Amino acid sequence: MITIAHAGHWLTSVAYFVPVIAFLVWLAITQLRERRKRSDRGDR
Amino acid sequence: MIPIAHGLVGRTDLPIPEWLFGWGAAMVLVVSFVALALLWPEPRLEREHWRPLPGGLGRALASRPVEIACAGVGVALLAVLIWSGLHGIQSPTANFAPTFIYVIFWVGLVPASVLLGDIFKAFNPWRAIGRAFAWLARAVSRTELPAPLDYPNRLGNWPAAAGIFAFAVMELVVSNSDEPESLAVATLVYSAATFVAMALYGVDAWIERGEAFSVYFNLFSRLSPIETRDGVVGYRKPLSGLPALQVLPGSVPLLAVMIGSVTFDGAGEGPLWTGVAPDIASFFRDVGLSPQRALELTFLVGLVAAIALVYGFYRLGAIGAKSVGGGFGAGRLSRAFVHSLVPIALAYVMAHYFTFLLFNGQAIWPLASDPLGDGSNLFGTASRQIDFTLIGANATWYWQVAFVIGGHVTALTLAHDRALSLYDDAKLAVRSQYWMLAVMVGFTSLALWLLSEANQ
Repeated sequence: MITIAHAGHWLTSVAYFVPVIAFLVWLAITQLRERRKRSDRGDR
Repeated sequence: MIPIAHGLVGRTDLPIPEWLFGWGAAMVLVVSFVALALLWPEPRLEREHWRPLPGGLGRALASRPVEIACAGVGVALLAVLIWSGLHGIQSPTANFAPTFIYVIFWVGLVPASVLLGDIFKAFNPWRAIGRAFAWLARAVSRTELPAPLDYPNRLGNWPAAAGIFAFAVMELVVSNSDEPESLAVATLVYSAATFVAMALYGVDAWIERGEAFSVYFNLFSRLSPIETRDGVVGYRKPLSGLPALQVLPGSVPLLAVMIGSVTFDGAGEGPLWTGVAPDIASFFRDVGLSPQRALELTFLVGLVAAIALVYGFYRLGAIGAKSVGGGFGAGRLSRAFVHSLVPIALAYVMAHYFTFLLFNGQAIWPLASDPLGDGSNLFGTASRQIDFTLIGANATWYWQVAFVIGGHVTALTLAHDRALSLYDDAKLAVRSQYWMLAVMVGFTSLALWLLSEANQ
């Protein structure tokens, strides 16, 4: 059973994946922006 | 797995928290990515750069007597392994078979292949026996043997992927998988299957595409600067062996099995899996399975999940790379970049099994002298002890981090080089690699997290 007492351990585990999460968020934002730009150009 | 597995002692006095090493590794990858984008403007690894070793050395090393000697050693080792497994003491640490299979063969041959090239091909006992049998059959019948069947294209590397998966199941799922007799029987079964397949499709076709360990070690040997070509040992530009890899059906799943099985082995030692596994096992017991079968099935679920995770994450990277344009489908992209997973597989093997190889590998000296565990001392090394002071816990961690970073930077380099040759537009090539960078950062974080979990 996962308990709150293990939160410290889980937080440490999550810390390992912060760079991946940050990178994926950045990538998603970049893609969305590019898509928006492309569709704007298409609208004109 | 043999006791005293991977992490031996906990680290106590690292200058920064372990997770910060993960952040540092991610930074190294991002910096490497930028450097590649700026300083590596055209493909450099796709061209052939093979040259024979100088002074006739290349021809001598691959000569017929050397080839026969290596094949003889391979066949002799296979025989000793089966003999000791069946007739030796049934103790995983006192019998030759478990240490030889799990430490020397499965792990030790990986760095050996990277350093020396495809040496397993030279020592491969199944290939040697198959070729000897074909030669003998030709000599006895005095006619040409019937031509083997064409190796079906759709089979590709699937038999190899299935073979490596079966080995991982034996190693990580099956209870008492380190029992010498079970290992000897498994070796006999695998040998029989290999001989049947070689008889059907020919020795070379099966060894090159279907035989699990030949394909597995050949992949790692492609990282080596040494390659044997047309009976001559030569050297090539570092990393140029991998872009030449012929990608077949099953190649991507094979790499996913290679990385996923090590991932599961690492996760299996950590609190995440040990927290979840009892609940899954309890579910299987509730549906009527015996405790042992329930536990095996639980581990099988974990192994398959780890492989699926690796495959899914890589596939996600390919789908992402597709979204930048260029007209390539996700399937085409995942096949085009699959060779970049080989250094990641190497990083995972080396980082995860580093101490296992370093410490348990030393046990092969006493076991070589006393393979059956009956007190014999054939080479005078039976009383050799394992030196556990060979490397400290912190030094081990630094080596592991170095393996992980080195493997992923290499993977990034290979993917960047391939992207440049795949896309006409260099900017598009770099943009497609954003997604590969995400995959590499993901695998790096996963590798370091697994290593830290194994030392909890």
